[in-house]
Amino acid sequence: MTRRSPRGLRRELVVWLFLLPSLGIFLLYRILPLVWNGVLSLQKWSPFGTPRWAGLYHYEEMFLYDDVFWTSLWNTVVFMSSSPIAIALALALALLVHAPVRGRATYRTLIFLSYPLMTVAVGIIWRWLYDEKVGLLNYLLLSLGLTTRRIAFLDSFEWAMPSVIAAAVWQILGFFMIILLAGLQTIPSELYEAAAIDGADPRQRLLRITLPLLRPSIFLCLMIGIINSFTSFDLIYVMTRGGPNYATELLITYIYRAAFVLSKLDYAAALTVVLFLFLVALTWLANRAAGGEAGAVEAAE
Amino acid sequence: MKRAPTWPVHVALVGVSLVMLGPFYWVLKTSLTGENIFAYPPALLPVAPHVFYYVDVWYYIPFVRFLLNSAIVSTIVVLASTAFNAMAAYALTQPFRGKRAVILLLLSCMLIPFQATIVPAYLITKELGLLNSHLGLALPLCSTIICIFVFKASFDAVPRSLLDAARLDGLPEWRIILLIMLPLSTSAIATNVILSFIWSWNNFLWPLIVVRNEAMQTLPLGLSTFLSYLENTTGALYAFCVMVLAPGLLLFLLEQRRFIQGLTSGATKG
Amino acid sequence: MGGGLRNRYVVVLGTLALLTAAWNAYVALHDDGLILGRVVGPDGRPVPGATVRLQERTLTTLEPRATAVTGPAGEFRFTRHRLHHLVLEAAKDGVGRSPRVPVRLYFRGQNHTLLAPLRLAPPG
Repeated sequence: MTRRSPRGLRRELVVWLFLLPSLGIFLLYRILPLVWNGVLSLQKWSPFGTPRWAGLYHYEEMFLYDDVFWTSLWNTVVFMSSSPIAIALALALALLVHAPVRGRATYRTLIFLSYPLMTVAVGIIWRWLYDEKVGLLNYLLLSLGLTTRRIAFLDSFEWAMPSVIAAAVWQILGFFMIILLAGLQTIPSELYEAAAIDGADPRQRLLRITLPLLRPSIFLCLMIGIINSFTSFDLIYVMTRGGPNYATELLITYIYRAAFVLSKLDYAAALTVVLFLFLVALTWLANRAAGGEAGAVEAAE
Repeated sequence: MKRAPTWPVHVALVGVSLVMLGPFYWVLKTSLTGENIFAYPPALLPVAPHVFYYVDVWYYIPFVRFLLNSAIVSTIVVLASTAFNAMAAYALTQPFRGKRAVILLLLSCMLIPFQATIVPAYLITKELGLLNSHLGLALPLCSTIICIFVFKASFDAVPRSLLDAARLDGLPEWRIILLIMLPLSTSAIATNVILSFIWSWNNFLWPLIVVRNEAMQTLPLGLSTFLSYLENTTGALYAFCVMVLAPGLLLFLLEQRRFIQGLTSGATKG
Repeated sequence: MGGGLRNRYVVVLGTLALLTAAWNAYVALHDDGLILGRVVGPDGRPVPGATVRLQERTLTTLEPRATAVTGPAGEFRFTRHRLHHLVLEAAKDGVGRSPRVPVRLYFRGQNHTLLAPLRLAPPG
C-alpha cells in the first residue's frame, strides 16, 4: 500500500469536496427516495404519528383487489405502443431528410420543434384540437366527409387512449428523427455504392444495409420510448386527467393520484416500487434484445 | 448513378412540416382573433386580428408573477447545476480511491427516473422546510448525470501536455481549472446551461407537488390552473399558451445545433 | 463562432430591451386614464344630461366602476380609470339608451377617445 503524501491526501480531499454537492443531491433525491419508497411501501403511513409496520399489506391490496392498478398497468403497456409507431414514422422522416435535398436543415428544425416545448402547453393545444365542438380535427373530419357526426375524442372510451398516443407520437417524432438521422449519417456511403454496383435495388439496400446498421439507434429510441411511457405525466394530466373512467390512467398518474389526491402515500410508494421494477425489467430486456448494442453507441461516442 | 427526382421528397417533407406546425399556427391564429371558439366553420387566415387577448393575459392572470417564479427557479438551477456538474466532472478526471464505485453509483442513478421518486422527494422537501419555495423547486434539478459526463468528456479532451506543463509551472489546481479547462469547455457549459434551463422551465410534475399557493406557481403550473378555471372558451387561454411557448421557442431557435447535440449526446449516454 | 454567438444574443436581447424601454416610455406618457366621448340622440343631435355608465369587463363578469353626466354638447369624460377592457353605456330618460360599447385598450389607464358617439335609441 503506497503511503499517502500530504499533498496526495489534500488532493483527495479536494476531489471529494468537489463531488460533494452533486453526490449530495443524488443521494437526497435519487438514492434515498428509492430506498424510502421500498420502506414506505411496507408501512402504514399517516401524517400524524409514526408509521407502523404493515408488511405486504399494500401489495396484497394492489395485486388482488385494485382494478385501477391493473387498468393503469395495462394502459401503460398500451401507451408503450406509441414508441414503435413513432420510430417507424421517424425512420421514414429521417430517410427523407437524409436525402440530398435543399433546405434539409430547415425541415429538420421544423420537425424537431415540438420536442423542446412545454408539454403542458402542447397538451392544452391538443386537447383543444380534439375538442368535440370547436376542435380542428372534428372540423377536418366533417368537411372531408370522413364522418357524419362529431367525435368526442377525449371523452370516449374508444378514442381517448389513441388520441393521447397520437399527441405523444407528435411530440416525440422530431427527437427520434434526430437520433435516427445521426445514426444514418454514420453509415458510410461506400456500402451503398458497392451494393448498387452489385445490382441491389433501393429496397434491398434499405433492408440489408440501412436497417441492420441502424439497430443501435433504433433500440436507443425504443428504450427512450419505454422510459417515456412510464414517465409521461404532463400530457395525460392536462389532456384527460386519466379519464374517462381510468381509460387513460397510466401507472404514473395513478401514483400521483394515490399520493396527492387520495393522500395514501404508503400505497403510492408501493405502486412506485412496482413501476420502478417494471421499468428496470423492461429496459434490461430491451438492452438484451438489442444485443447490448445500445451501449455500443455510447462506446462509439 | 441515376439522379432521382427530388420533388416527391419535398412534397412529403412539406406535408409533414405542415402537420408538425399546424397546431402552433392554429393556436397563434386563435389567440389573435378569438374565433374558432364559438364561430364555426373557422377561417384559415386570421380575420381582423388584434392583440387584446394578450393584454387580457397580462392583466387578468398573474403572468408576470409566474414568469418571475419560473425565471428565479431556472436561474438557480442553471447556475447551481453548471457549477456542481463541472465540479463533479473535474473530480472524476482525477484518480482517487473509490472512483470506480462512485462512477458505478452515478451510472445506476441514471436508471432512476424522477417520477419514481416523487413521494419520498415530497416528504424530504417537507422535512427540509422547503415546500412552496424557490429553492425547493430548484433543488432536485441542480445536478444531472448526463451533464456530468458531458463535462467529463470535455475535460478529458483537454490535452494532457497542456495540463502537465501548467502543473510543472507550479500553477495551483484551481487556476488550472479556471484558466485552462473551463475556457476549453465552453461547449459543455453551453450544453449544460441549455439543457438545465429547458428542464427546469418546462418542469410540471414537481411544481405541481411542491407548490401550495398561487403566488408561487411557475408558468406550466399557472397555465394548467388557468385551464381548469376557465376551460377553453376564452381567447386569453391561447394567448397564454403562446406567451408561455415563446421563450422556449426563442431559445431553441437561437441555439438549435447545441440543443440537438446536447439532447442526443445525453440520450446516447442512457 | 464565438463572435457570431455573442452577436446573435446581443442583437436579440438588445432589441428586446430596446422595445421594452420604448414601450414603457410610451405607456408612461399616455396613461392618464382619460376616456372621452359624445352621446347623440336617435336624430344625431347631441344629448346633454345623459348618464354614461363605465363598467369593467373581467373574464367572467361586468363590474360597475364610474358614472358621468354629459355636458351641454353631449360630451362626457372619465378620468383616472385603471382598466384595459371596459364597457360604456349611455341612457337618458325619455330619449332612450345606447347599446353597450366595448372598449379594449393596450394597457391599463390608456387614454382613449371614442370614435363613434354613443347613440341613444328608444326602447322597443
